[in-house]
Amino acid sequence: MKRSFVSVLAVALVFVLAVPLFGQSYDPMKFKSSKPQAAWKIALVPKDATNAWFVRMESGVKRYAKDTGINVFQKGPPKTDAAMQAQVIEDLIAQGVDAICVVPVDPSALEPVLGKALSKGIVVIDHEGASQQNCLYDIEAFSNEGLGQALMQVLAKSMGEKGTYTTMVGNVTNASHNEWADAGVAYQKAKYPNMTLLAAEPRVEIMDNLDTAYQRAKELFKKYPDLKGIFGTSSLSTPGTARAIEELGLKGKAFVTSVGLPNENKPYLKSGTVQAVMLWDSAEAGYAMLATAVAVLKGEKIANGINLKGKGWESMTFAPESTKVLLGKSWISITKDNVDSFGF
Amino acid sequence: MQSTVKPAIPAKALAGRDQNLLRLLVMLVFVFGLMTVLRPNEFATLADFNSMMRQFPEYGIMAIGISLTMITGGIDLGVVGTANLSAIFAAKFLIGAVPQGAPPEQVLPYLAAAVAIALATGLLCGAFAGLLISRFRIPAILATLGTQQLYTGIAIGITNGRPQSRLPLLYSTIGNTEFFGFFPLSFVIYCAIAVGIGLMLSRSRFGTCMYMLGTNAKAARFAGLNNASIIIRTYMVSGILSSVAGLIMMARANSAKADYGAPYTLQCVLIAVLGGIDPNGGFGKITGVTLAILILQFLSSGLNMFNNISNFYRDVIWGGVLILVLVFNRLFSIRAERRAVRRSMA
Repeated sequence: MKRSFVSVLAVALVFVLAVPLFGQSYDPMKFKSSKPQAAWKIALVPKDATNAWFVRMESGVKRYAKDTGINVFQKGPPKTDAAMQAQVIEDLIAQGVDAICVVPVDPSALEPVLGKALSKGIVVIDHEGASQQNCLYDIEAFSNEGLGQALMQVLAKSMGEKGTYTTMVGNVTNASHNEWADAGVAYQKAKYPNMTLLAAEPRVEIMDNLDTAYQRAKELFKKYPDLKGIFGTSSLSTPGTARAIEELGLKGKAFVTSVGLPNENKPYLKSGTVQAVMLWDSAEAGYAMLATAVAVLKGEKIANGINLKGKGWESMTFAPESTKVLLGKSWISITKDNVDSFGF
Repeated sequence: MQSTVKPAIPAKALAGRDQNLLRLLVMLVFVFGLMTVLRPNEFATLADFNSMMRQFPEYGIMAIGISLTMITGGIDLGVVGTANLSAIFAAKFLIGAVPQGAPPEQVLPYLAAAVAIALATGLLCGAFAGLLISRFRIPAILATLGTQQLYTGIAIGITNGRPQSRLPLLYSTIGNTEFFGFFPLSFVIYCAIAVGIGLMLSRSRFGTCMYMLGTNAKAARFAGLNNASIIIRTYMVSGILSSVAGLIMMARANSAKADYGAPYTLQCVLIAVLGGIDPNGGFGKITGVTLAILILQFLSSGLNMFNNISNFYRDVIWGGVLILVLVFNRLFSIRAERRAVRRSMA
């Protein structure tokens, strides 16, 4: 008797009160809004409200509002915390927004609350959350392969497409850094036959530390006098190596590039030691997320080649074997001419 | 001797605290009114109340835990660490023990065991902190700063900092139950705890002992109280409450992680002080704490409705409210003291 009561209760809980949480797959076409565009309300939830990266993202959100006249706004948690981010999303659901764009602190912690949003017919778009189940689309700025090729193009141009180079990663265990480096090396082999990878030390590790980058670069240039280029991945590779290049008097003879932040690299870009570092722009990413949400609300089909309007987001492709994750080519090269325009 | 002193303190305390409750109530109504007027279509809606009821229990329960330790003249900064460690043990057990695809009635006993594991973890975490404070005479603020680091460290160690997800679906289904489609389970748990702890403080012998210890530890010892035992038991209660909060966070996030809710610690201290818990010990009521929780939740959810106000300002507003209340309390108590002195002179 008692046992059957418990099981009835359990089954009832599952079926009657169930909040859809996992594994539910939603058809994006069903999220077409019946409301007029002027009544739409779209929120973008960053990881936190004060980080310079997301302040920059908000400028893209404001530009989108100005360009389209749609009511879009950015609302992030006061601190970078998964639990607090979920609370902001709870409040947004209660306010009845039509779409939520989110840069998750921790995708798995947001599954229940985003599942609730989807079940209420709210469009959910992720960015930098490729593992998110409860979203209609996740848009990524680039594929690892694409970024690696772009970095190699920059380095090859600096080196005049000839000479010896090596690769420098943050940590040899960092999956994306190694994928960028592998893609860069493969691209060099295909496109720049006069360049060679340093056979003795093809992959250097800097433990994601600026000082280590400087020390390792100095060692390398002393040990291998014909070394002309360093293909960096971590944002610390360029400032560390550039310092070594300047101290050793190798300016104009040795070159480096990597992903990098504008302010960290400003002195080296201005002095001409570094020609360019690569970055993707969070303002464009914010713009593209909103464009994705609007496309879904309009009932447009998201297919390969879709234009998400942000710079570098004009022609998106689905990641291999995915109908959710879209990849762009949204990297920009930061040079001495545009380094002052970012504000971080 | 005892008969003259004993009623004198609670009488004065009660009068003072009731004024504090009144002030909190006025502030609550003010914040509520302000938000309702400014955001009539969004703030005072059922959906928004539902959203708020889902948000505050997890930190509210930890705030009650911290309040208890502050009443005894201590503080428990280890609540978030305890909550996460408890949740991680429960999650590890569930992930490891529950067979894939088991029907709900088979999963239910595992859930009960997981809850028991979490509560036991909370109890032990609290007992350890209490032991450090009472037996080793380490100041509570330092001891619990240490336990916070220790528990978070253990949690990171056993999970490598990764979220423990893929819990059985039934856990978050039950955890996110809403009674009558409106009252979340976590809210009901909060209410039960608030009433229970409130009664414990006002009616039970243990509650009275906590207030006495917080008012004057030396006097309590000379009055024959076993201070060490009271302290250990208080931190055990705080630990259990933290583990309940951990279980709620685990249901909401459908996973457990070493650093969920890290900024809650200071927020809970703020709530306790705002709610009229005397940081020096001896005074304070759960009613006040609950009012403070509601004020902060109204402010926080209200602020989320202003698209152009960054949440950056939430800290500014919360800090401002806290300082305002502290200054008011100080001014009122100075006035009350003066009046009492004048009356005794006359």
